Amino acid sequence: MKSYHDIVGDGGSNILVQVAEQKDRIARALSKVRHRVAIGSGKGGVGKSTVTRALAAALASRGFKVAIVDADFNGPTQARMTGLRGAVPVPGADGIALPKSRDGVGVFSVGAYLPESEALDFASVSQGESHTWRATKEFAALGEILASVAWGKLDVLLFDLPPGAERTLQFAEFLGAATSFVLVTIPSEVSRGVVARSVAALANTENSLLGYVENMSGYFCTECGAIKPLFPETKDGIVLDLPCLGRVPFDPALAFACDRGVAFLDLPETAATRALSAIAGRLVESLEMAR
Amino acid sequence: MKFLCVPCDQPMKVLNVTPPDRGSISVTYSCPACGYEMAMLTNPFETQLVASLGIKVGPGAPAESDKPKCPFSGMVAAAEETTAPVDDGVRWTAEASARIQSIPDFVRPMAKTGIERFAKEGGHAEITLAVLDEAKSRFGM
Repeated sequence: MKSYHDIVGDGGSNILVQVAEQKDRIARALSKVRHRVAIGSGKGGVGKSTVTRALAAALASRGFKVAIVDADFNGPTQARMTGLRGAVPVPGADGIALPKSRDGVGVFSVGAYLPESEALDFASVSQGESHTWRATKEFAALGEILASVAWGKLDVLLFDLPPGAERTLQFAEFLGAATSFVLVTIPSEVSRGVVARSVAALANTENSLLGYVENMSGYFCTECGAIKPLFPETKDGIVLDLPCLGRVPFDPALAFACDRGVAFLDLPETAATRALSAIAGRLVESLEMAR
Repeated sequence: MKFLCVPCDQPMKVLNVTPPDRGSISVTYSCPACGYEMAMLTNPFETQLVASLGIKVGPGAPAESDKPKCPFSGMVAAAEETTAPVDDGVRWTAEASARIQSIPDFVRPMAKTGIERFAKEGGHAEITLAVLDEAKSRFGM
């Protein structure tokens, strides 16, 4: 009797061909993107989205053509941060025209189209069992977005990832080896520990891990002009075995800008914006070295 | 998944797929050698799992020239959604209506509303490819 591998095709649905075509469509849509960088951490609340948004603005101000994909479907924030809530996705001959922030960053975020009072929902014939299929559907949706948007010629495409060390690994496998990773942490042992798990998970992939960014690395005291610690300093804490691309002090002005969708070109220069600009420079150097 | 006609030792072929009924689809296979037919009936979990992959079950793989298939839509080719022009005073030409199908369907309602508002503000009674290009210049990168 024939086995599975003795039979060519699957009787007519050509499932494997369909999957291959999905991958081809994504590859074609991203064919003019020079660098893909996923910003993750493993831990929620460390400022992945803020760092992603700020790095995009810093890269744009250096003359790079840059865009963001908000891959956090369950907590999409990039539309708000870039002032693009309610942006209209217009279909062109080559795909959806990419909405652009006032500081020149292309952004595709589900948050642009979904009221913040609503959770993203998918049509389903299997009610009450979303834990069995939801993650698969989210990746299929991300693939559809990547294939449907007219990304055009980009220097850098940034992916704002959802939290979760296991999600970081899933995105590495979904996006493929051509996508490099940057991890964001804060100066706490809890955060470093979770980020260390993401580092370990990514070590089993072919993706380049460019380094990490330490966010909320102290705060700028307006009274004395010094950077003071936000978290207790430890001498025997977890050391992340990857390059530090930079440290960003907490900056209320930056947080305000993200909450209100203020264009970064309207922000005054601060210790945080200088740090982010320097990180953008190191990121570009790392990307070119990794090629 | 593949099906084998054991007496003939021949792989069975998909004959047809019925649209979902209460979450279940019926895929009929036949043996090209003896003509024996059988049907695979999915439960809603199985239907949903396959639909979540963004693929379709049915005879004939999608051609390279096919329009993008949205993972949010049903997986049965026969049940493909069509976008009817919205009856709100602004008409869509067939070409413009076809183009908006390229947008994933969870974003499509927002796109249609926004484009129709743009057309009305611009004094367009009909949304054509030229109007879409105009909207693209305004909203896109």
